[in-house]
Amino acid sequence: MSVIFGLAAVIAFLGALGVVLSQRTIYSAMSLVLNMVALAVLFLLLDAQFIAAVQIIVYAGAVMVLFVFIIALLSPGAEERLRSVELRLLLGGVGAVAFTLLIGRLTLNGITVGAHGRLHGALGPFSPAAVNAHGQVQTLGDQLFTTYLLPFEVTSLMLLVAAVGAVYLSRRRRQLA
Amino acid sequence: MGEEGVSAAATSVLLAVVVAVVKGVLIIFVLMTAFAYLTLAERKVSARIQLRYGPNRVGPFGFLQPAADGVKLFTKEKVAPEGRDNFLYLLAPALAACAALFAFSVIPIDQTICIAGTHGAGPLSASCPGGYPLHWDLAHLNIGLLFILAITSLGVYAIFLGGWASNSKYPLLGALRSSAQLISYEMAVSFALIGPVLLAGSLNLETIVNQQHSLWFVFLQPMGFLLYFTGALAETNRLPFDLPEAEAELVAGYHTEYSGMRFGLFFMAEYINMVTVCSIATVVFLGGWMAPFFFLPNWLGPIWFVAKVALLLFLMMWVRWTFPRLRYDRLMQFGWKVLLPLGLANLMLTSVFVALR
Repeated sequence: MSVIFGLAAVIAFLGALGVVLSQRTIYSAMSLVLNMVALAVLFLLLDAQFIAAVQIIVYAGAVMVLFVFIIALLSPGAEERLRSVELRLLLGGVGAVAFTLLIGRLTLNGITVGAHGRLHGALGPFSPAAVNAHGQVQTLGDQLFTTYLLPFEVTSLMLLVAAVGAVYLSRRRRQLA
Repeated sequence: MGEEGVSAAATSVLLAVVVAVVKGVLIIFVLMTAFAYLTLAERKVSARIQLRYGPNRVGPFGFLQPAADGVKLFTKEKVAPEGRDNFLYLLAPALAACAALFAFSVIPIDQTICIAGTHGAGPLSASCPGGYPLHWDLAHLNIGLLFILAITSLGVYAIFLGGWASNSKYPLLGALRSSAQLISYEMAVSFALIGPVLLAGSLNLETIVNQQHSLWFVFLQPMGFLLYFTGALAETNRLPFDLPEAEAELVAGYHTEYSGMRFGLFFMAEYINMVTVCSIATVVFLGGWMAPFFFLPNWLGPIWFVAKVALLLFLMMWVRWTFPRLRYDRLMQFGWKVLLPLGLANLMLTSVFVALR
């Protein structure tokens, strides 16, 4: 388990680095795909098979394919770096530290670190045992359609608006031409 | 006590690894052989349909033709275009073959076998208490169907990168077409598969097969089966949907600039993908390993499974040599304006049926 976790974590990290560091867009995009697949492996290790599959289908399979599609259509050249190295390091460093602190604070919510580095805290309502007893897909579906119904519907409305807008723009351009 | 626990856990892990490796090697071997003989079958079927003999010189009835083809592919000169992106150019065919082989790992060929009397050696299973549940599929996932959809959606990168990295116009056009086509038809395929999932109430492929013991889903979901099969033809780039490699306009589409075994890997991926989509159709719609008639014995499971897959594969070849290729805009229109609405309608009807049941 820990071996697989280590491998997946390193690959995810390398993928993330590749997104930022490679100067050619297609390599950035492929690094992002690598990162997402590695994240899916991490989800699998957490016993979240459904989330892992959705992660690959939606992000690696659909969103990134569209990205790559656009990259091929526009075929952009290599990235031009306008700001100096020092400024980029400074801005990136500040952002990274702030983000890490935020994530760390959220992760440690209600968890205390005891002796020998052991973590103490109460299990929430969605412990692996509870989720597996009810079924992973069922738990997610229940939550989506009860607790998170409003955000869920608002998101679908937003996507609908975006789709209608895209169709309108593409049709108007065709009429102009 | 502690040491015993550790050694038992280590044995269990070791056993799991050994079982997985053996199954993996078997799956790869069987799929490779299937690929080799499918190329021969395709040529024989096409020859029959066109009133020819087909390959009949190498071995009796041409049975050694795949071996001769293999030797030819391995010894051919590897021609590669100037100005290619070498890393992605070499990565693409490997990715295609890997994705195709990987997708098959969750397909159950027969029911789980329970090896009794091996207390605690294997994973715990409710259906096999105190024994070792030996699954026929390499990875027994609760979300097997979603896993297959996820892996096949990654296959598009292989085609796309192959076309893009070649730095040549026909491959690029083929790659663009294939990305657009795969995204469009994936929707239809997914909608077609949700129907049986609703009926079975599970995404686990073995559960889906077991739910069909009295009636195969193809009889409850005839529309779903037709939609799936049509979408599957498009997903595997078979005629009449083989626009990514339409030879009349694009030479050979995304793999124009590949030769030798590099082309062979793309070719292999196409045929293995055919086997995979036909296996999914068998598992989801045709009752998997169940005997086709009630008076036939059920214990011949794997044979029924292979027979059904072979029938579907023959159907795919038959379609290929019978129908002409669609025009590209018609293909996209067909996907979005016919298959997708039909899939949605089928899904709604099924939902109402399941809700009222």
